[in-house]
Amino acid sequence: MSASASAWYPCLRWVAKALSFTLVRLDVRGLENVPRSGPCFLIANHQSVLDPVLVQGACGRPVHSFTKSGQFSSSGRFVRWLLLRVNAIPVRRYRIDPQAVRTALRILEAGGVVGIYPEGERSWDGTLQPLRRGTVRLILKAGVPVVPCGVDGSFGAWPRWTRRPCRVPVRIRFGRPLRFERHDTRAERDAALDGALEQLTGVLARLSEQDVPLTAAAAATTAASETATAVPATR
Amino acid sequence: MDGKGDRARCRSCGTRVVRRRGRLFVSSTSHGTHEVNASKLLQNIDLHEDFSDDAFRPAAGFAQSARVLVAWRDKEEAIWYKGILRGFSETMAPEARGTVAADRDEVRIEAPSARSGRWSYLELRAVQASSSSLQLSLPGDRLVQLRFSADSPRRWEEMLRALVRDAYRRAGRGAVLEFQPRIETAASSAADRS
Repeated sequence: MSASASAWYPCLRWVAKALSFTLVRLDVRGLENVPRSGPCFLIANHQSVLDPVLVQGACGRPVHSFTKSGQFSSSGRFVRWLLLRVNAIPVRRYRIDPQAVRTALRILEAGGVVGIYPEGERSWDGTLQPLRRGTVRLILKAGVPVVPCGVDGSFGAWPRWTRRPCRVPVRIRFGRPLRFERHDTRAERDAALDGALEQLTGVLARLSEQDVPLTAAAAATTAASETATAVPATR
Repeated sequence: MDGKGDRARCRSCGTRVVRRRGRLFVSSTSHGTHEVNASKLLQNIDLHEDFSDDAFRPAAGFAQSARVLVAWRDKEEAIWYKGILRGFSETMAPEARGTVAADRDEVRIEAPSARSGRWSYLELRAVQASSSSLQLSLPGDRLVQLRFSADSPRRWEEMLRALVRDAYRRAGRGAVLEFQPRIETAASSAADRS
Protein backbone atom coordinates (compact mmCIF):
# COMPACT_ATOMS: atom_id res chain seq x y z
CA MET A 1 0.00 0.00 0.00
CA SER A 2 1.34 3.41 -0.85
CA ALA A 3 1.48 5.83 2.03
CA SER A 4 0.85 8.71 -0.33
CA ALA A 5 -2.54 10.29 -0.09
CA SER A 6 -5.20 10.24 -2.76
CA ALA A 7 -4.68 12.69 -5.60
CA TRP A 8 -7.54 14.70 -4.17
CA TYR A 9 -5.92 15.12 -0.79
CA PRO A 10 -3.89 18.29 -1.46
CA CYS A 11 -6.95 20.05 -2.90
CA LEU A 12 -9.18 18.89 -0.08
CA ARG A 13 -6.57 19.96 2.46
CA TRP A 14 -6.67 23.48 1.08
CA VAL A 15 -10.46 23.41 1.30
CA ALA A 16 -10.12 22.26 4.91
CA LYS A 17 -7.63 25.01 5.60
CA ALA A 18 -9.90 27.64 4.09
CA LEU A 19 -12.85 26.29 6.07
CA SER A 20 -10.78 26.28 9.25
CA PHE A 21 -10.03 29.97 9.04
CA THR A 22 -13.61 30.75 8.02
CA LEU A 23 -15.40 28.75 10.71
CA VAL A 24 -13.15 29.55 13.68
CA ARG A 25 -10.37 31.93 14.68
CA LEU A 26 -7.56 29.42 14.34
CA ASP A 27 -4.14 29.56 15.97
CA VAL A 28 -1.75 26.70 15.07
CA ARG A 29 1.59 26.19 16.78
CA GLY A 30 4.30 23.56 16.94
CA LEU A 31 4.04 22.35 13.33
CA GLU A 32 7.81 21.91 13.30
CA ASN A 33 7.25 18.98 15.68
CA VAL A 34 5.61 16.90 12.93
CA PRO A 35 8.38 14.81 11.30
CA ARG A 36 8.82 15.71 7.64
CA SER A 37 9.09 12.07 6.64
CA GLY A 38 8.81 8.59 8.07
CA PRO A 39 5.99 6.81 9.85
CA CYS A 40 4.29 8.34 12.85
CA PHE A 41 1.05 8.52 14.73
CA LEU A 42 -0.74 11.83 15.12
CA ILE A 43 -2.97 11.67 18.18
CA ALA A 44 -5.35 14.44 19.15
CA ASN A 45 -8.08 15.05 21.67
CA HIS A 46 -11.58 15.20 20.18
CA GLN A 47 -13.88 18.05 21.15
CA SER A 48 -15.88 18.64 18.01
CA VAL A 49 -16.80 17.40 14.56
CA LEU A 50 -14.54 20.19 13.30
CA ASP A 51 -11.37 18.60 14.71
CA PRO A 52 -10.43 16.42 11.70
CA VAL A 53 -10.91 19.39 9.38
CA LEU A 54 -8.80 21.66 11.59
CA VAL A 55 -6.05 19.14 12.34
CA GLN A 56 -5.69 17.70 8.83
CA GLY A 57 -5.92 21.18 7.34
CA ALA A 58 -3.12 22.34 9.62
CA CYS A 59 -0.83 19.31 9.37
CA GLY A 60 1.65 19.56 6.53
CA ARG A 61 1.61 15.81 5.78
CA PRO A 62 -1.25 13.65 4.53
CA VAL A 63 -2.93 12.02 7.51
CA HIS A 64 -4.86 8.73 7.39
CA SER A 65 -7.38 9.17 10.21
CA PHE A 66 -9.45 6.56 11.99
CA THR A 67 -13.10 7.37 11.31
CA LYS A 68 -16.28 5.89 12.73
CA SER A 69 -17.33 3.17 10.29
CA GLY A 70 -20.99 4.19 10.35
CA GLN A 71 -20.09 7.42 8.57
CA PHE A 72 -19.30 5.43 5.43
CA SER A 73 -22.81 4.02 5.14
CA SER A 74 -25.16 6.36 6.99
CA SER A 75 -24.06 9.74 5.69
CA GLY A 76 -24.67 9.27 1.97
CA ARG A 77 -22.58 8.60 -1.10
CA PHE A 78 -20.88 11.98 -1.23
CA VAL A 79 -19.61 11.71 2.34
CA ARG A 80 -18.30 8.22 1.63
CA TRP A 81 -16.58 9.47 -1.53
CA LEU A 82 -15.09 12.35 0.43
CA LEU A 83 -13.95 10.24 3.40
CA LEU A 84 -11.99 7.91 1.16
CA ARG A 85 -10.27 10.84 -0.53
CA VAL A 86 -9.24 12.38 2.78
CA ASN A 87 -7.64 9.02 3.65
CA ALA A 88 -10.19 8.00 6.29
CA ILE A 89 -9.79 4.51 7.74
CA PRO A 90 -13.14 3.01 8.78
CA VAL A 91 -13.08 1.60 12.28
CA ARG A 92 -15.93 -0.30 13.89
CA ARG A 93 -16.19 1.03 17.41
CA TYR A 94 -18.74 -1.51 18.64
CA ARG A 95 -16.31 -4.40 18.38
CA ILE A 96 -12.59 -5.03 18.14
CA ASP A 97 -11.65 -4.26 14.54
CA PRO A 98 -8.53 -6.12 13.39
CA GLN A 99 -8.87 -4.78 9.84
CA ALA A 100 -8.50 -1.19 11.03
CA VAL A 101 -5.31 -2.22 12.85
CA ARG A 102 -3.98 -4.01 9.72
CA THR A 103 -4.71 -0.97 7.56
CA ALA A 104 -2.97 1.36 10.03
CA LEU A 105 0.11 -0.85 10.28
CA ARG A 106 0.36 -1.08 6.47
CA ILE A 107 0.25 2.70 6.21
CA LEU A 108 2.95 3.04 8.86
CA GLU A 109 5.11 0.43 7.13
CA ALA A 110 4.88 2.54 4.00
CA GLY A 111 6.06 5.62 5.91
CA GLY A 112 2.68 7.33 6.34
CA VAL A 113 0.97 9.23 9.14
CA VAL A 114 -1.93 7.61 10.99
CA GLY A 115 -4.24 9.99 12.83
CA ILE A 116 -6.16 8.76 15.85
CA TYR A 117 -8.51 10.43 18.29
CA PRO A 118 -7.72 8.08 21.17
CA GLU A 119 -10.74 9.07 23.25
CA GLY A 120 -12.75 7.14 20.66
CA GLU A 121 -15.54 9.71 20.46
CA ARG A 122 -16.21 13.41 20.71
CA SER A 123 -16.24 14.82 24.21
CA TRP A 124 -19.68 15.66 25.59
CA ASP A 125 -18.43 18.53 27.73
CA GLY A 126 -15.09 19.57 26.22
CA THR A 127 -12.99 17.70 28.77
CA LEU A 128 -10.50 15.00 27.88
CA GLN A 129 -12.11 11.54 28.09
CA PRO A 130 -10.21 8.37 29.08
CA LEU A 131 -8.05 7.14 26.20
CA ARG A 132 -8.94 3.80 24.62
CA ARG A 133 -6.64 1.04 25.74
CA GLY A 134 -6.73 -0.58 22.31
CA THR A 135 -5.36 2.58 20.73
CA VAL A 136 -2.45 2.62 23.15
CA ARG A 137 -1.82 -1.07 22.45
CA LEU A 138 -1.63 -0.24 18.74
CA ILE A 139 0.88 2.52 19.46
CA LEU A 140 2.99 0.09 21.51
CA LYS A 141 2.72 -2.55 18.79
CA ALA A 142 3.91 -0.21 16.05
CA GLY A 143 6.75 1.46 17.99
CA VAL A 144 6.85 4.55 15.76
CA PRO A 145 6.99 8.20 16.95
CA VAL A 146 3.76 9.63 18.32
CA VAL A 147 3.05 13.30 17.68
CA PRO A 148 0.56 14.59 20.26
CA CYS A 149 -1.83 17.31 19.18
CA GLY A 150 -3.93 19.36 21.58
CA VAL A 151 -7.13 21.00 20.36
CA ASP A 152 -8.53 23.68 22.61
CA GLY A 153 -11.67 25.70 21.89
CA SER A 154 -13.37 23.60 19.24
CA PHE A 155 -15.92 22.42 21.80
CA GLY A 156 -17.05 26.01 22.19
CA ALA A 157 -17.06 26.36 18.39
CA TRP A 158 -19.29 23.38 17.71
CA PRO A 159 -20.25 21.22 20.70
CA ARG A 160 -21.69 17.80 20.07
CA TRP A 161 -25.21 18.90 20.80
CA THR A 162 -25.61 21.92 18.53
CA ARG A 163 -26.34 22.02 14.83
CA ARG A 164 -24.19 24.93 13.71
CA PRO A 165 -20.71 26.21 14.52
CA CYS A 166 -19.99 29.57 16.03
CA ARG A 167 -16.80 31.52 15.32
CA VAL A 168 -14.61 31.43 18.41
CA PRO A 169 -10.84 31.11 18.96
CA VAL A 170 -9.47 27.59 18.56
CA ARG A 171 -5.88 26.68 19.38
CA ILE A 172 -4.06 23.66 17.93
CA ARG A 173 -0.75 22.69 19.50
CA PHE A 174 1.52 20.00 18.05
CA GLY A 175 3.83 18.63 20.74
CA ARG A 176 7.26 17.06 20.38
CA PRO A 177 7.11 13.43 19.24
CA LEU A 178 6.95 10.81 21.97
CA ARG A 179 8.82 7.59 21.44
CA PHE A 180 7.55 4.29 22.75
CA GLU A 181 9.53 1.13 22.32
CA ARG A 182 8.04 -1.49 20.02
CA HIS A 183 6.43 -4.36 21.96
CA ASP A 184 5.89 -7.49 19.90
CA THR A 185 3.79 -9.56 22.28
CA ARG A 186 0.49 -8.83 23.92
CA ALA A 187 2.00 -9.49 27.36
CA GLU A 188 4.73 -6.88 26.75
CA ARG A 189 2.22 -4.36 25.48
CA ASP A 190 -0.02 -4.87 28.49
CA ALA A 191 2.92 -4.47 30.85
CA ALA A 192 3.72 -1.09 29.28
CA LEU A 193 0.09 -0.08 28.78
CA ASP A 194 -0.70 1.85 31.95
CA GLY A 195 2.47 3.92 31.84
CA ALA A 196 1.97 4.83 28.17
CA LEU A 197 -1.69 5.59 28.80
CA GLU A 198 -0.83 8.02 31.53
CA GLN A 199 1.93 9.70 29.53
CA LEU A 200 -0.32 10.21 26.54
CA THR A 201 -3.18 11.46 28.70
CA GLY A 202 -0.89 13.93 30.41
CA VAL A 203 0.54 15.27 27.18
CA LEU A 204 -2.86 15.66 25.51
CA ALA A 205 -4.27 17.34 28.61
CA ARG A 206 -1.39 19.78 28.74
CA LEU A 207 -1.48 20.59 25.04
CA SER A 208 -5.24 21.12 25.13
CA GLU A 209 -4.89 23.20 28.28
CA GLN A 210 -6.87 20.94 30.59
CA ASP A 211 -6.26 19.88 34.15
CA VAL A 212 -5.73 16.17 34.64
CA PRO A 213 -4.02 14.83 37.76
CA LEU A 214 -0.70 13.26 36.79
CA THR A 215 1.95 11.15 38.44
CA ALA A 216 5.42 12.69 38.64
CA ALA A 217 6.67 10.56 35.72
CA ALA A 218 3.82 11.57 33.46
CA ALA A 219 4.22 15.21 34.43
CA ALA A 220 7.90 15.08 33.44
CA THR A 221 7.09 13.54 30.05
CA THR A 222 4.35 16.07 29.53
CA ALA A 223 6.61 19.00 30.22
CA ALA A 224 9.23 17.64 27.80
CA SER A 225 6.67 17.38 25.03
CA GLU A 226 5.40 20.91 25.21
CA THR A 227 5.81 22.94 22.08
CA ALA A 228 9.14 24.70 21.91
CA THR A 229 8.06 27.87 20.23
CA ALA A 230 5.39 30.45 20.71
CA VAL A 231 5.66 31.62 17.11
CA PRO A 232 2.72 30.53 14.97
CA ALA A 233 3.84 27.99 12.39
CA THR A 234 3.02 28.62 8.76
CA ARG A 235 3.87 25.41 6.93
CA MET B 1 -33.21 20.69 34.10
CA ASP B 2 -36.36 20.04 32.11
CA GLY B 3 -36.39 20.63 28.44
CA LYS B 4 -37.31 19.73 24.94
CA GLY B 5 -35.78 20.58 21.58
CA ASP B 6 -33.85 23.80 21.78
CA ARG B 7 -35.17 24.96 25.17
CA ALA B 8 -34.48 23.93 28.76
CA ARG B 9 -35.45 25.26 32.16
CA CYS B 10 -33.91 24.73 35.57
CA ARG B 11 -36.41 23.17 37.98
CA SER B 12 -34.97 24.86 41.05
CA CYS B 13 -34.14 28.42 39.98
CA GLY B 14 -36.20 28.88 36.81
CA THR B 15 -33.22 29.87 34.63
CA ARG B 16 -33.91 29.21 30.96
CA VAL B 17 -31.41 28.05 28.36
CA VAL B 18 -32.20 28.48 24.68
CA ARG B 19 -30.22 27.25 21.69
CA ARG B 20 -30.60 29.55 18.70
CA ARG B 21 -28.64 29.15 15.44
CA GLY B 22 -25.87 27.21 17.15
CA ARG B 23 -25.52 29.73 19.98
CA LEU B 24 -26.59 29.37 23.60
CA PHE B 25 -28.44 32.01 25.58
CA VAL B 26 -29.23 31.97 29.29
CA SER B 27 -32.12 33.98 30.76
CA SER B 28 -32.70 34.53 34.44
CA THR B 29 -34.67 37.11 36.38
CA SER B 30 -31.56 38.28 38.21
CA HIS B 31 -29.12 38.59 35.28
CA GLY B 32 -31.32 39.07 32.21
CA THR B 33 -30.40 37.34 28.95
CA HIS B 34 -26.86 36.77 27.80
CA GLU B 35 -24.92 34.42 25.53
CA VAL B 36 -22.81 31.73 27.16
CA ASN B 37 -19.97 29.51 26.10
CA ALA B 38 -20.98 25.83 26.08
CA SER B 39 -18.05 24.73 28.28
CA LYS B 40 -18.81 27.38 30.89
CA LEU B 41 -22.49 26.51 30.90
CA LEU B 42 -21.71 22.86 31.58
CA GLN B 43 -19.37 23.80 34.41
CA ASN B 44 -22.11 25.77 36.09
CA ILE B 45 -25.12 23.51 35.88
CA ASP B 46 -25.92 20.11 37.22
CA LEU B 47 -27.36 18.43 34.16
CA HIS B 48 -28.41 15.08 35.49
CA GLU B 49 -27.89 12.41 38.07
CA ASP B 50 -24.30 11.43 38.61
CA PHE B 51 -23.75 7.86 37.43
CA SER B 52 -20.02 8.30 37.06
CA ASP B 53 -19.25 7.36 40.66
CA ASP B 54 -17.88 3.83 40.99
CA ALA B 55 -19.83 3.51 44.21
CA PHE B 56 -23.19 3.83 42.39
CA ARG B 57 -25.55 1.21 43.82
CA PRO B 58 -29.00 0.98 42.22
CA ALA B 59 -31.80 0.29 44.68
CA ALA B 60 -33.77 -2.95 44.33
CA GLY B 61 -36.70 -1.14 42.71
CA PHE B 62 -34.53 0.88 40.32
CA ALA B 63 -36.30 1.24 36.96
CA GLN B 64 -35.97 3.62 34.04
CA SER B 65 -37.55 3.59 30.62
CA ALA B 66 -37.66 5.77 27.54
CA ARG B 67 -39.22 5.87 24.10
CA VAL B 68 -36.71 5.18 21.38
CA LEU B 69 -36.29 4.49 17.70
CA VAL B 70 -34.69 1.07 17.44
CA ALA B 71 -32.41 0.05 14.58
CA TRP B 72 -30.57 -3.25 14.32
CA ARG B 73 -27.43 -3.76 12.30
CA ASP B 74 -28.44 -5.22 8.99
CA LYS B 75 -25.09 -6.07 7.40
CA GLU B 76 -21.46 -5.11 7.14
CA GLU B 77 -19.79 -4.26 3.88
CA ALA B 78 -16.17 -4.05 2.87
CA ILE B 79 -14.80 -0.60 2.02
CA TRP B 80 -12.31 -0.69 -0.83
CA TYR B 81 -10.23 2.15 -2.19
CA LYS B 82 -7.90 1.81 -5.17
CA GLY B 83 -8.18 -1.96 -4.96
CA ILE B 84 -7.11 -2.12 -1.31
CA LEU B 85 -9.35 -3.17 1.55
CA ARG B 86 -9.61 -0.17 3.82
CA GLY B 87 -12.02 -1.60 6.40
CA PHE B 88 -15.66 -2.44 7.04
CA SER B 89 -18.79 -0.42 7.57
CA GLU B 90 -22.15 -1.37 9.03
CA THR B 91 -25.57 -0.68 7.58
CA MET B 92 -28.50 -0.30 9.94
CA ALA B 93 -32.00 -1.59 9.22
CA PRO B 94 -34.84 0.96 9.17
CA GLU B 95 -35.75 2.39 12.56
CA ALA B 96 -38.81 1.13 14.44
CA ARG B 97 -40.62 2.76 17.34
CA GLY B 98 -40.12 1.08 20.66
CA THR B 99 -39.04 1.43 24.26
CA VAL B 100 -35.92 0.69 26.24
CA ALA B 101 -36.18 -0.16 29.92
CA ALA B 102 -33.47 -0.77 32.46
CA ASP B 103 -33.67 -2.12 35.97
CA ARG B 104 -31.04 -3.34 38.37
CA ASP B 105 -30.47 -6.66 36.56
CA GLU B 106 -31.24 -6.31 32.87
CA VAL B 107 -32.01 -4.07 29.94
CA ARG B 108 -35.06 -4.68 27.76
CA ILE B 109 -35.78 -3.48 24.27
CA GLU B 110 -39.33 -3.75 22.99
CA ALA B 111 -40.25 -2.79 19.47
CA PRO B 112 -43.43 -4.25 17.94
CA SER B 113 -42.15 -4.06 14.37
CA ALA B 114 -38.52 -5.04 15.05
CA ARG B 115 -36.65 -7.54 17.14
CA SER B 116 -37.16 -7.30 20.90
CA GLY B 117 -35.29 -8.89 23.75
CA ARG B 118 -33.84 -8.68 27.23
CA TRP B 119 -30.24 -9.06 28.27
CA SER B 120 -28.55 -9.15 31.65
CA TYR B 121 -25.78 -6.59 32.03
CA LEU B 122 -23.25 -9.40 32.10
CA GLU B 123 -24.30 -10.33 28.55
CA LEU B 124 -23.68 -6.90 27.05
CA ARG B 125 -20.49 -6.72 24.96
CA ALA B 126 -20.17 -2.93 24.63
CA VAL B 127 -22.07 0.24 25.54
CA GLN B 128 -21.34 3.47 23.71
CA ALA B 129 -22.87 6.63 22.36
CA SER B 130 -22.64 7.26 18.64
CA SER B 131 -23.56 10.77 17.51
CA SER B 132 -26.97 11.26 19.13
CA SER B 133 -27.70 7.55 19.57
CA LEU B 134 -26.77 4.83 21.99
CA GLN B 135 -25.31 1.57 20.68
CA LEU B 136 -25.35 -1.75 22.51
CA SER B 137 -23.27 -4.68 21.32
CA LEU B 138 -25.03 -7.92 22.17
CA PRO B 139 -24.16 -11.60 22.20
CA GLY B 140 -23.96 -13.21 18.77
CA ASP B 141 -22.19 -10.21 17.23
CA ARG B 142 -25.43 -8.23 17.16
CA LEU B 143 -25.61 -4.45 17.34
CA VAL B 144 -28.65 -2.36 18.22
CA GLN B 145 -28.84 1.41 17.99
CA LEU B 146 -31.28 3.44 20.09
CA ARG B 147 -32.27 6.99 19.20
CA PHE B 148 -34.05 8.76 22.03
CA SER B 149 -37.01 10.95 21.22
CA ALA B 150 -37.27 12.69 24.61
CA ASP B 151 -34.25 11.67 26.63
CA SER B 152 -30.50 11.99 26.50
CA PRO B 153 -28.26 9.29 24.97
CA ARG B 154 -25.48 10.61 27.19
CA ARG B 155 -27.58 10.04 30.31
CA TRP B 156 -28.47 6.52 29.18
CA GLU B 157 -24.88 5.74 28.30
CA GLU B 158 -23.73 6.78 31.77
CA MET B 159 -26.60 4.98 33.46
CA LEU B 160 -26.15 1.68 31.61
CA ARG B 161 -22.40 1.79 32.20
CA ALA B 162 -23.04 2.33 35.91
CA LEU B 163 -25.45 -0.62 35.93
CA VAL B 164 -22.91 -2.80 34.10
CA ARG B 165 -20.22 -1.83 36.61
CA ASP B 166 -22.59 -2.72 39.44
CA ALA B 167 -23.51 -6.09 37.86
CA TYR B 168 -19.86 -7.00 37.31
CA ARG B 169 -19.07 -6.08 40.90
CA ARG B 170 -21.94 -8.17 42.26
CA ALA B 171 -20.89 -11.13 40.09
CA GLY B 172 -17.32 -10.88 41.36
CA ARG B 173 -15.90 -10.08 37.93
CA GLY B 174 -13.99 -7.04 39.15
CA ALA B 175 -13.79 -3.48 37.95
CA VAL B 176 -14.64 -2.59 34.36
CA LEU B 177 -11.70 -0.88 32.65
CA GLU B 178 -13.56 0.28 29.54
CA PHE B 179 -16.86 -0.13 27.70
CA GLN B 180 -15.87 0.02 24.05
CA PRO B 181 -14.98 -1.56 21.69
CA ARG B 182 -15.86 -4.21 24.24
CA ILE B 183 -16.38 -4.36 27.97
CA GLU B 184 -12.98 -5.13 29.41
CA THR B 185 -12.00 -5.97 32.96
CA ALA B 186 -8.57 -6.65 34.41
CA ALA B 187 -9.47 -10.34 34.49
CA SER B 188 -10.62 -10.51 30.85
CA SER B 189 -7.50 -8.62 29.77
CA ALA B 190 -5.30 -11.14 31.60
CA ALA B 191 -7.23 -14.02 30.02
CA ASP B 192 -6.51 -12.57 26.55
CA ARG B 193 -2.78 -12.61 27.29
CA SER B 194 -2.67 -16.25 28.28
